[in-house]
Amino acid sequence: MHNYIAVVFDDTSKAYEGLHTLWQLDSDGEVTVHGTTVVHRDDWGQYQVDTKETHPALATAVGVGVGVLLGALAGPAGAAVGAAGGAAIGAATGGVVGLTADLPRADTRDQAAVETRFVLGAGQSAVIADVSEDWTSPIDTRMRSLGGTVYRRSWSALRDDAWFDDNIASYLYPYEYIPPRYPRD
Amino acid sequence: MVDTKVKEALDHVRAGAQELHGTISDAAAKRGGAVKADLEAVGQKAKAVAESVKSSIDTQNEAAKKLLAEAATHIEAVQKHAAEGLKSTGHAFEASVRQTLAGARASVQKVSEAVAAMRSAESTKTRK
Repeated sequence: MHNYIAVVFDDTSKAYEGLHTLWQLDSDGEVTVHGTTVVHRDDWGQYQVDTKETHPALATAVGVGVGVLLGALAGPAGAAVGAAGGAAIGAATGGVVGLTADLPRADTRDQAAVETRFVLGAGQSAVIADVSEDWTSPIDTRMRSLGGTVYRRSWSALRDDAWFDDNIASYLYPYEYIPPRYPRD
Repeated sequence: MVDTKVKEALDHVRAGAQELHGTISDAAAKRGGAVKADLEAVGQKAKAVAESVKSSIDTQNEAAKKLLAEAATHIEAVQKHAAEGLKSTGHAFEASVRQTLAGARASVQKVSEAVAAMRSAESTKTRK
């Protein structure tokens, strides 16, 4: 099964532990990870995505792309939120928070939450990943042990969304990327 | 069971493609952007990855073969864009860097999907 997953954690260090564990599962051959990124939502509700990009326009493009993917992960209502809210996701580069804009309306967010329950709360972080898995238990079990909650949508379901485009995968790193400002252990 | 050498060959191809992406994405992300020496290094790495992809195709199952063939096409595009970048300046150079990066990302995706196809085939055989 080719799936996109979002694993929500209560803090950033756990999210990076989750990221490392995901790539470890890949090394062990339990799953195959095609790409990952980490998204944070700060205490003020603004989203940031970790990227190598230092050029503001390119970093913003990453934020928009990952925003669309987050919306698509949240299901049909979320797809509209994600596309509209893509620009609201800034890119954190070198410790600097990128561009932000208004968040989607609360009533629309609530609708997405009801449909899929995938919500990144203030102060939480999520690992977003494109994976192939023959069964879901390796990821579910390991992420649960780290305190993460896994949300999953199939690649084929995402492709059917009007907002989906093939470039989404290109915003995910095809290896374990941890920004220099985060400690590795 | 899938031959260990076949698995190792594909893992080697994947590691090479990941390294290729890492090299060009690091260069593109540098303050001030990539320079010609970066593209020259990428072109050389892409050549090595293209050779390893081509040499591993025949040993894989049909699904993986198709994906590796697509990866090879993307890597050829990486070589082409890197070579074009070496001859260009300004916006044209920046465009070549972005196209090289996009090609590298697409090639890793296809190699990674080939790895998944190989692992899935192995898993199915093991369960029988």
